Amino acid sequence: MSTVMKQDRLVAINPTRSCAPIGAMLSAFGVHGSITINHGSQGCATYPRHQMARHFREPIEVATTSLTEKTTVYGGKENLLAAIENIWNRFHPTMITVCSTCLSETIGDDIPGIIEEFQTNHPDIDIPIISVKTPSYIGTHITGFDLFLKEVAMRIPLKSRKGDSNGKVNIIPGWVNPGDIRELKWLLREMDVPVLWLTDYSDTLDGGYYDPRPHFPPGGTTVAELQDSSRSLATIALQKYVGGEAAKVYKKRHNIPAYILPMPIGLANTDKFLETLTEITGKPISPELERERARLLDAIVDTHMFNTGLKVAIYGDPDLVHGLVRLTTEMGMIPRFVLTATESKAWGDDMVALADELGIELDIMMRTDLHELHKRMKAEPVDLLMGHSKGKFLSDAEHVPLIRVGFPVEDRFGYHRRAIVGYKGAMYLVDEITNAIMERRGSLVSNTLMAEMEEDIPMNGGGCGSGGCGG
Amino acid sequence: MTTEAFFKCDETIPERAIHIAVKGPGGCQRSDGSDCFIASNIATTPGDMTERGCTYAGCRGVVGGPVKDVIQLTHGPIGCAFFSWGYRPHLADSDFHMKYTFVTDMDETNIVFGGEKRLLKCIIEAAQEFPDAKGVFIYNTCSTALIGDDGKDVAKEAAKIIGKPVVFFDCEGFRGVSQSAGHHVGNETIFKELVGSVEPEGDFSRAINIVGDYNIKNDMRTFEPLFEALGLRILTRFTGNVSVDEIKIMHKASLNVVHCARSATYIADMMKSKYGTPYIDVTLFGIKAMSKALRDTAAFFGLEQRAEEVIEQELAKIMPKIEYYRQRLQGKKIFIYQGAPRAWHWIELLRELGMETIAAATTFGHKDDYEKIFNRIQEGAVIVDNPNVPEIEEILKVRRPDLFISGNKEKYVAYKLGVPFVNGHTYDTGPYAGFSGMLNFARDIDKALHSPVWELLKAQGRPVPGTSVAH
Repeated sequence: MSTVMKQDRLVAINPTRSCAPIGAMLSAFGVHGSITINHGSQGCATYPRHQMARHFREPIEVATTSLTEKTTVYGGKENLLAAIENIWNRFHPTMITVCSTCLSETIGDDIPGIIEEFQTNHPDIDIPIISVKTPSYIGTHITGFDLFLKEVAMRIPLKSRKGDSNGKVNIIPGWVNPGDIRELKWLLREMDVPVLWLTDYSDTLDGGYYDPRPHFPPGGTTVAELQDSSRSLATIALQKYVGGEAAKVYKKRHNIPAYILPMPIGLANTDKFLETLTEITGKPISPELERERARLLDAIVDTHMFNTGLKVAIYGDPDLVHGLVRLTTEMGMIPRFVLTATESKAWGDDMVALADELGIELDIMMRTDLHELHKRMKAEPVDLLMGHSKGKFLSDAEHVPLIRVGFPVEDRFGYHRRAIVGYKGAMYLVDEITNAIMERRGSLVSNTLMAEMEEDIPMNGGGCGSGGCGG
Repeated sequence: MTTEAFFKCDETIPERAIHIAVKGPGGCQRSDGSDCFIASNIATTPGDMTERGCTYAGCRGVVGGPVKDVIQLTHGPIGCAFFSWGYRPHLADSDFHMKYTFVTDMDETNIVFGGEKRLLKCIIEAAQEFPDAKGVFIYNTCSTALIGDDGKDVAKEAAKIIGKPVVFFDCEGFRGVSQSAGHHVGNETIFKELVGSVEPEGDFSRAINIVGDYNIKNDMRTFEPLFEALGLRILTRFTGNVSVDEIKIMHKASLNVVHCARSATYIADMMKSKYGTPYIDVTLFGIKAMSKALRDTAAFFGLEQRAEEVIEQELAKIMPKIEYYRQRLQGKKIFIYQGAPRAWHWIELLRELGMETIAAATTFGHKDDYEKIFNRIQEGAVIVDNPNVPEIEEILKVRRPDLFISGNKEKYVAYKLGVPFVNGHTYDTGPYAGFSGMLNFARDIDKALHSPVWELLKAQGRPVPGTSVAH
């Protein structure tokens, strides 16, 4: 029987999450030529920039209104007006996003009102300027991403006429890596489905070396595309908790069918995504994708003797964890602990339902930190850890391999351009996991692993459910 | 009226003119054409794409964070704690301070009803989880400062309960114009709360403190043995590889040797007025400066002869290698952009390696930092206070330095422009201090300048596909 728990301890020790503005900034990088202004203390822009630079290894440019003590008395209006004007004059961006912070929210700045005043005084500046409410004390980093998408859906699409379609499908990838977006692009090209990305930072945050350096990073969804997104055939949100709400806005405002799917990690979830595309467009799954799918099955069977029955702990964003539980179960592994920083009863219910469907027993932890996970791992060891870089301390201490997925991966290179979605993403994970397990066993025995291990006969019934079958 | 020194990218923000100057025959020639000295330590122009951080960052990240055996607790929402966790390599002989971050994890309800009770409970919980920790440092953030939590009172109460020092820092992000304010808060608070709280027995007549060194990538290992070879004992390191117990007794030292004058002269001044402890300013980078630091320190104790022996011995070890690098680096032009002191520390070091600094900038330098830069830099060099991203780009493109020395955020801008780069904040493969560290620095500069990658970029770089921009 799976259980859902929330941490009793008030003090967070080694949290798995950061805060809302970074999510809004990240998603806004997926709009070509857009600039984000963080309305708060300078650190609220500089820290996330630093964090993103360590993950993406790219220039990360975000403006700040540089609020100081004085503004806590008089409000931050003058700073915000000046910042918007300075950004416009210097860069001529295609769109400006203003994200709020603990400071600007607590002093009560009316950001939408200030933006309106700016627009009234500058009728010539004809670009969307939107605001997202992102104080650190609400939700987590995914909250900012989700709210940005919702704000875009509410504010930017033009009114559409009935029956007037652009023939495209809106795809909301959610909090993924540039590599994931590229893999999704491949799937959609193979399916011959025209897409409108909400949003696409596959090039802007994994850019190339160009000579000369362009004014704005190439790529990203254009504002014209965002405006056109109200004429699409359907919206598919590939994460329920990042973008699901925006999909509902398109449904409600523009009568566009909304499909909120599990993150396409693993065989079944990728199948579901492709089947949904077929359902919307009538187009069949391409032979090349069928071949990829077959290769994934082949990879799972090739590796199963190394992985079957091994226990896994997974931490990270709600949709990522959900997808990884399905994939590792498809591989014959046993997800044991799952942890997300987000406090969400819905997610807890989703995870219980998933565990029941898969016939596994999960300890489901929400709003819980890595220190708590560490204690659980000490009490009940696992064979594999999956999550972002901050779990490296657990991995070191418990000698358990860490498979780096999610955000941030700041202690290695190139993870931002790898894909974990789709059949290819699943194959990558299958290989990565298996190789990590083999690596740990040492090079001498890796080819003949099973022969070197002690026999471990389950004493209480068959199957691999309670610690049997593996390491 | 702006002069030629003014940047093109600043045409729409003329207020930047007072922060830009050229070293002329008479000293500072400001780009607004006035005779005044370069403006510094004032509020940032909103939206100018500053690289500055906040007061919290200066206190938590720089001054408090390196203390190795205290619980580093952030009072506020989670973001500040997540972003400041574990990336600054202020190493020690233990790693508790690098591996763990603690946060009161304030959410919306706590912001409405106040967080004092929560703070107290968090301190007690954290102390229970880590009974070996020697105390608790609490860092205040924007939201908890604005709602008026009396953290100092809570800290007092908590100290009685846990029986260890609990130190509360008023370092909310909005407090100053840059992270510099956080250094000040850190110094004052540590001095008031800890220094002199224990009176140890013993002979301290040859004890010194190293003040204002944060042991980045073990910098201290390069120079500590040299001071020890003089016959001196290093009592306290403020603050790198330091325990809270060592801070308590730092007033017993006979001399403070101040390295980072910007972030730590405060405590040296306070010790001088309260305990009469004299201090000397030193630079622990480069041949002349490191030698002078040893000589000045030795002179204070009457150990001049010993200093000459140590210097001679050390120089014999490094000079052949320095000569090798000097030949390879001769004539290169450098742009340094650092927090503050390294911009003036390194001008002479680079000169010793045959290179000249053609542009220098600091994030949070004050007047005295800029005076030192103007005294040391060559004529014609440009000096910029609190530079922003477009200004940095313009210096790289127009003044064409051979090498840019800066931090992680700026690195990828340099790379996109094909400019060699060395990370002066956290070092590529440090340490860079002392005599032996200078060889690491020279080697990294050599590697950056002479990597074949730049030829590859020059020969193979192409414009963004689909654009018709001439090469």
